[in-house]
Amino acid sequence: MRAKYVLSEVVTGLWRNVTMTIAMMITMAVSLTMLGASMLVYKQVDRMQSFFYGKVEVSIFLKTDVTEAQRTSLQSDLKGDPLVQNVIYESRDTAWQRFKTQFKDAPDLVNATKPDSLPESFRVKLKNPEKFQAIYNKYNNRDGISEIVDQRKLLAKIFGIFNSMQNVALIVSIIQGVAALLLVANMIQIAAYSKRREVAVMKLVGASNWFIQAPFVLEAVFAGLVGAVLAFAALFVAKTFFLEGALKSLQTVFPPIPTGDVLLMLPILAGIGAAVNAIAGWITLRFYVRV
Amino acid sequence: MIQLEQVTKTYPKASRPSLDDVSVSIDKGDFVFFIGPSGSGKSTIIKLLLHEITPNSGKVYVNERDVTTMRSWKIPTFRRSIGCVFQDFRLLPNRTAYENVAFALEVIGKSKGVARRVVPEVLELVGLGGKEHRYPHELSGGEQQRVAVARAFVNRPLILLADEPTGNLDPDTSIEIMRLLDRINRTGTTVVMVTHDSNIVNQMRRRVVEIESGRIVRDQPRGVYG
Repeated sequence: MRAKYVLSEVVTGLWRNVTMTIAMMITMAVSLTMLGASMLVYKQVDRMQSFFYGKVEVSIFLKTDVTEAQRTSLQSDLKGDPLVQNVIYESRDTAWQRFKTQFKDAPDLVNATKPDSLPESFRVKLKNPEKFQAIYNKYNNRDGISEIVDQRKLLAKIFGIFNSMQNVALIVSIIQGVAALLLVANMIQIAAYSKRREVAVMKLVGASNWFIQAPFVLEAVFAGLVGAVLAFAALFVAKTFFLEGALKSLQTVFPPIPTGDVLLMLPILAGIGAAVNAIAGWITLRFYVRV
Repeated sequence: MIQLEQVTKTYPKASRPSLDDVSVSIDKGDFVFFIGPSGSGKSTIIKLLLHEITPNSGKVYVNERDVTTMRSWKIPTFRRSIGCVFQDFRLLPNRTAYENVAFALEVIGKSKGVARRVVPEVLELVGLGGKEHRYPHELSGGEQQRVAVARAFVNRPLILLADEPTGNLDPDTSIEIMRLLDRINRTGTTVVMVTHDSNIVNQMRRRVVEIESGRIVRDQPRGVYG
C-alpha cells in the first residue's frame, strides 16, 4: 500500500510540473550524452593506441643518390640489429604505386608527381616502439640516409586531437550537469511547495521522514533515469547513423566503436543519472526545503 | 504526562523571551487551558510539546520522555502519540472528510483495511456520520473542525493539543467543539488547549494556566478566564 502511494505521488508529481520535468530530462540527457561520448572516446583512444602502436614503424628514407653498397650494408645492419623486429624495403616503384592508390581521388596531385620523386625507404618495425631514439642515434649519421621518421609522433598528434575532443565533451557534460542539478533542486522546491499542505499534515501526524521525502527523491531519480535512456539512445543513433553511416570513410583511421561499449553505457549512465539526482534531491530536501 | 521545567525560549531576533522560566506539570487525563493575550507565549508551548522548536534552556517531558534531547529521527514516531488541531483546521482541500482522516493513518503505515474500519467510527464519534464524502468546502467551519478533531484522534493519541480550535468559529459552534473535546478527554486523553475565548473557559470550569509576557501568572483548578 505504501509503495503504491509513493509511486502514485511520483507520477502526479512529474505530471504536475510537466514542462519542468521535460526541461530537466533534456538537460540531463545532454549532460549524460556528453559524458557517455567522452567515456567512449577515452576507451576508443586506448584501443586505437594499442592497435596502431602495434603496427607502427620507423621510416628510414634514403637519399636519391644512395649507392647500392650503402643500401645493402644498411639493410643487413638493420636485420642484425637486436632492437629491430623486421625490416621491409620499399623501392621507389612500390612507393609510387602506394602513392597512386592512396591519392586515387586526387588525380591532379598524382599527375603532378613524377614517379621518381618519391624516395626509397626501409620500413623498420621495432621490438619495442619506445626505442626510437636509440635507432635514430645509431643510424642518423650514416651515409645515404636523408631522414628517419618516427610514425608514433604522427599518431601522437592524432591522439592529441582525440584527447581534446574528449576533454571538450567532458567540459560540456559538467556544465550541463550543473544546469541539470540546479533544475533538480528547482523541481523539488516547486514540488515541495505544491505539496506543502500534505507535507505539513504528514509531519504533524508523524509520518516518517523517508516516507515524506521518498516521492520527491524518486521523482528526481526517475527524471535522471529517463535522461540516461535518452542519452543512451543518442549515443546509439550517433554510432549507427553517424559514425557508421555518413562518416563510414573515416573507419580506416577511426575503427568502429564496438556495440558492446555503447550498450555498456546504458547501465553506467543510468546509474550515474539516478545516483546524482537522488543525492541532489535529498540535499535540496534536507538543507534547503527542510521538508 | 507533560512537564515543563524552567523552560525559557527566545526566538532569534526577539527582544524578550516568549517563555521565561516556565514550569508546569500536567497529569494524565487532565484538561488544561492555557490563556493569555496574543503574543504571551501560549502557542510556543504547543510548539515545544510537538518538538517543532527546542527551548533555549530547561526541560520538556512528554509521555515521560525528554523531548529536548530527542534525536530528530525519533520525532515522527513520537508525534504519533500526540493529536493536534488548529484554528485554521489544516485539512487537505482536495480530499473528502473520510480521505482526510484516512490520510493520517495511511501515511504512518496503516493499511487501507484498518482505515476502512476505524475512520467511519471516529467520524461517527465527532458527529459527522453521513458526511464522510463531503469535501472541506462543502462543510461548515464547525464541521471542518470536527474533521480535524477526528484526524487528530483517529490514532488514539495519549495527548490532544488544541491551538485556538474555536478561533474561527461562532459561539454556538464553539460550544459544540468544546463538548467534543470534553468527550475525548473523558476517554482518558489528556487535552491541552490554548485559547483566548473567555466564554468557553468560563463555561468549562477546568484547570486554567494564565500566561503573560512569557510568565505563568496564575494556575488554578476549575478556573475562569478572569
